[in-house]
Amino acid sequence: MELSLHPIILLLFFPGGLFLFVAGLLYEWVDRKLVAQYQNRIGPRFIQPLADIIKLLAKEEIVPDGVHKGLFIALPIVGLASALAAALYVPLVGFNPAYSFKGDLIVVVYLLSVMTLCLGLAGANTADRFSLVGATRTLTQLFSYEAPFMLSLLGPAIVAGTWQISEINAFAIQSRPWWFAFTQIVGFLVAMIGLMGKLEMPPFDAPEAETEIVAGALTEYSGRGLALFRIGKDVELVIGLTLIAAFFMGGLANPLDFLWKTAILILVVAALQSLFARLRIDQTVGLWWRAGALLALLQLLAIILGRYLQPVLSQFFSGLFGG
Amino acid sequence: MDLETALQSAEALLQPLAVEIKRPEIERVDVYIALDNLKPAVQALVDAHWGYLAAITGVDKPAPAAEGAALTGDVEVLYTFANGGALATLRVRVPYTDAKVPTICDIIPAATLFERELIEMLGVDCLGTPDPGHLILPDEWPADVYPLRKSFTGLNQE
Amino acid sequence: MENPESPQKFVVPIGPQHPALKEPAHFEFTVDGEIVTGASVRLGYVHRGIEKATEARNYPQGLYLVERVCGICSHVHALSFALGTEKLAKVVAPPRAQAIRVLTSELERLHSHMLWLGVAAHEGGFDTLFMYSWRDRETVMDLLEQMTGNRVNYSINIIGGVKQDVNDEIKTAILKGMDFLEGRMAHYLTVVTTDETFLGRTRDVGVMTREQAETLAPVGPTARASGVPIDVRVDSPYSGYVDFPVNLIVDEGCDLLARFVVRIKEMQESIRLVREILDHMPEGELAVRVPRRIPENEIIQRVEAPRGELFYYMKSNGTDMPERVKIRTPSLCNWASVINLAPGYNLADMPMILAGIDPCFSCNDR
Repeated sequence: MELSLHPIILLLFFPGGLFLFVAGLLYEWVDRKLVAQYQNRIGPRFIQPLADIIKLLAKEEIVPDGVHKGLFIALPIVGLASALAAALYVPLVGFNPAYSFKGDLIVVVYLLSVMTLCLGLAGANTADRFSLVGATRTLTQLFSYEAPFMLSLLGPAIVAGTWQISEINAFAIQSRPWWFAFTQIVGFLVAMIGLMGKLEMPPFDAPEAETEIVAGALTEYSGRGLALFRIGKDVELVIGLTLIAAFFMGGLANPLDFLWKTAILILVVAALQSLFARLRIDQTVGLWWRAGALLALLQLLAIILGRYLQPVLSQFFSGLFGG
Repeated sequence: MDLETALQSAEALLQPLAVEIKRPEIERVDVYIALDNLKPAVQALVDAHWGYLAAITGVDKPAPAAEGAALTGDVEVLYTFANGGALATLRVRVPYTDAKVPTICDIIPAATLFERELIEMLGVDCLGTPDPGHLILPDEWPADVYPLRKSFTGLNQE
Repeated sequence: MENPESPQKFVVPIGPQHPALKEPAHFEFTVDGEIVTGASVRLGYVHRGIEKATEARNYPQGLYLVERVCGICSHVHALSFALGTEKLAKVVAPPRAQAIRVLTSELERLHSHMLWLGVAAHEGGFDTLFMYSWRDRETVMDLLEQMTGNRVNYSINIIGGVKQDVNDEIKTAILKGMDFLEGRMAHYLTVVTTDETFLGRTRDVGVMTREQAETLAPVGPTARASGVPIDVRVDSPYSGYVDFPVNLIVDEGCDLLARFVVRIKEMQESIRLVREILDHMPEGELAVRVPRRIPENEIIQRVEAPRGELFYYMKSNGTDMPERVKIRTPSLCNWASVINLAPGYNLADMPMILAGIDPCFSCNDR
């Protein structure tokens, strides 16, 4: 679906800015509510995430002693900004991305990582012990899931023959009903779990494990900084879900597609969150490098082999049987 | 090991060190010992694997003091060992003026928390205990005020 | 980001205010990266001087006071105080009272262990198990409320017996609750022994061998999970346990997993015992008279609290107030095991190892 809007509107309302805030808060609510339901709790009302953010924004922001003040204030803004920038390149709500160029997939993946980097730096910037341990864990986790997550997204890209998100989306729509989720099931799973690792959702919440290190890297944050980081995470959740739905679930052709496909994804994400106990950081790293990266790599090799050997093989077979 | 054999074995172990041995209850044996014999007695029980240290209890026994005279009295320290249903208690008495017992942490490391409590609450010093810091009372608690002494009736709020 | 004290020593303080701690205490873990190299503890943040306060109150008042030592195992404190006072006064409560006391003890053990199961699961980041076990715990809480009128401080003991009787209506309700819980216990046992992520957090973590257990002298389920067969209910049966014996639950696993298994099996044993008591409830009076002034005497009363052996030393002096009451709670014995076990494990394991002994800070800080 095409949509041409003035650049200011693009940045402030849709798909950037306001829309993403609302969508992010809505998805956060759906996630929290679902996890609560799985755990036999009632869960929050739909207005709760918004209320949390408003409350945080209204509160005093305390800048602790011993931090670099500029960094302390800048990091949440940079994190959120990069997440919002990433939104411009993904097919949000089934509309074509606002901007698109060859290789924007790489840019989006990097923009999504900037958020995590900011989180790590924010933790390392303070003198608090919990923050420091949390920052170490955040960055350790970044190095463990980032490569497999990237590899898994490359699968559809290679099959589609382009590294441009809008074209991969178009290719996925064309190739219906053969979703990549079925043909590249390993890649799909790795991408899903990679997204959970990115967002530090349970069971990959070791970087912010409250029973050990309070709130990890964000322990010293309050007020506006904390609110911005939380919005940033919500925005990343929406973008991540959009990317996975576009790549692996037959593309996003219209808003309805977007709604039901991300709804399925968030159901699965919430179920995975409530099924497992928290992994220790060494277990997380072990899991990713021993299983995640290896499987994603194998999948990628298989795709590359299949793609480049296909002409050779078909020639070979046609020669064998045809002649 | 049934109750009676356990009690008899404790009696046999502690007989050479004891001043007096009593059986106040069916499952208990009380052994009154001199302060010097405390560590050998504990060592004897531990060496024989006779149960575990269940508690160290301090009991304040002030002497009926004359009006205006300095407070005198004793603190009785009870080391209770439990072995199944059997209880053996080593009893030593120390006067206020020399309220010191040797530590038993070198024999039973787990006794450290019990000893710290005894030091704080009853003012019986355990000589050589590994960590004599405050366990229960606040850091700013005044020295020489021991809440479980009978003479303690509350801190003066200044 | 250098630690001001020394670059080699990075201390992670936990408490007195920390989300992992439900009650205040202070721990200092020295860490090297994620590995803990040392640990120390500081208690006393909620010390209320209950031991001293009992010396200025008469026996019935003291009974209500000691019940407030701990919010989770309130009944065992009142029970040992009541049993102790009865021993001092040389009276014995009637059999029906003893049976009801044991019934309450076992129901309390059920609710305490389920509370612990939830907290321990939460420390390991397994919030689903936490929510489920606390939901099921409500069953026991409701039964206790129906039986005694209170959810936390049951106050069913009086000196010389119990206050409330167990009628047929309550009996039916309890039996129904036990049927429900029996199914849940089987489920929990499957979950903690088969869930791979959870096993990753409990298996071979916080190992305390039997030899270590004998020197560190822990009590209760913590000791039994290391294969040490101690249980006051078996070693020195008190109150109704003389008529209704319990089976000793031990596990040779020595790790955190074993502590989970022991406690869940203990709950199953409690369910069995509750049913047996209800089926064979002795008839008779609920209480006997106890004199107000109690002659000079001295006793030691031990009972098995959910966390292990609870030790009461009581001394009377001929008045209506005790001369000295010494309370040694099970958690105090179990601390030594945590402090000694911590080095060598991950910082992430600390909350689990701490929770593994089921610490009760209020109990420590009488």
